[in-house]
Amino acid sequence: MTGTATGPAVESASDPLDQATRRRHTARWAAGGALVVGAALVALLATRPPETATEVATPLVGQVAPRLVGPTVTGATFDLATLRGRWVVVNFFASWCAPCQQEQPELVAFAYAHRRPGQAVLVGVVFDDAASTARAFMRSTGATWPAVVDRGGQIGLDYGVRGPPETFLVSPGGTVVAHFDGPMTSASLDYWLGRAIGGGR
Amino acid sequence: MSGVPARGARRWTWVALVVVVGVALGVGASPGSPAPTTAQRVAAIDALVRCPSCEGISVADSSASTAVAIRQAVTARVHAGQSDAQIDAFLVSRYGPSILLRPPVGGATAWVWVLPPVAVAVGLACLAVVFWRRRRPPPVTVTDEDRALVARALAARLVDADDGANVGRGA
Repeated sequence: MTGTATGPAVESASDPLDQATRRRHTARWAAGGALVVGAALVALLATRPPETATEVATPLVGQVAPRLVGPTVTGATFDLATLRGRWVVVNFFASWCAPCQQEQPELVAFAYAHRRPGQAVLVGVVFDDAASTARAFMRSTGATWPAVVDRGGQIGLDYGVRGPPETFLVSPGGTVVAHFDGPMTSASLDYWLGRAIGGGR
Repeated sequence: MSGVPARGARRWTWVALVVVVGVALGVGASPGSPAPTTAQRVAAIDALVRCPSCEGISVADSSASTAVAIRQAVTARVHAGQSDAQIDAFLVSRYGPSILLRPPVGGATAWVWVLPPVAVAVGLACLAVVFWRRRRPPPVTVTDEDRALVARALAARLVDADDGANVGRGA
């Protein structure tokens, strides 16, 4: 050992102090790296936009939209079949659902942007909520589109709705073109509408 | 008249006992009433439909609004004379195959059934190969070089032993 060092094996084992320093350095680098990754994750999650809708592939997409007939919260009668020839956005909502509250101003903006006759129309379906509270929710947010009361939840079942908000895009021919889970924005609705029109359905 | 019954009578008692037990077992083992009532059918279907807005429980066990709606629809369809398969098909056409707690085998779901046994078989085969190799070490071929090496080492040992003996004697 104390003689002339002749190989790499002898050299590396010769200085345990140096080895310990190197190990400490490695630990410091690892800790620093973990800190940076953690900080980046926090920054990413903090600056991310709030929860948005995702398109979901359900059996109804591409099929004829199920019957949607019933009284609205204001006492009128509604039938989806009367809207043939127009793009329809069917939105299942409830006043107790926080993402629906987040989504509502966006829907109001969308309805206003598409207020001209012949343009896309919005239809709400009350999901597991009283007609009176749903009506108050619509009025307080300035929503003027029809909101159908789904007594017994049979419309929600026909559309395969699991929990609000869920939104369907129905073509002028009465076909379900897309199904979304989560709160929509006016911009995302425009995007999907443009895509659907471009798709020629 | 009184006392131990005659030998023939006792034999007939045994025969009657065997007949009674046989008939009872036969009746008991055969399936019950062939046609379940509508309520029984509704309950059976509800127990195998997943509540769409819950986590892993059937609509029979849930009071969620979606579960109530599905129970109503199932009841209405059973009363309308639809078969279990028709009702399952209707629910699948709305929610997808995951609505059934016992999804049908076929397509992508078939892999769920096929893959685990295949994985187990492959794993067992690998283990068998590993153990088989370990038990039978590869045959060693001795070269002339090896022999020379051993001879040299032995010679060196002999010299060392001689030295050691000399030192020991000297001490």
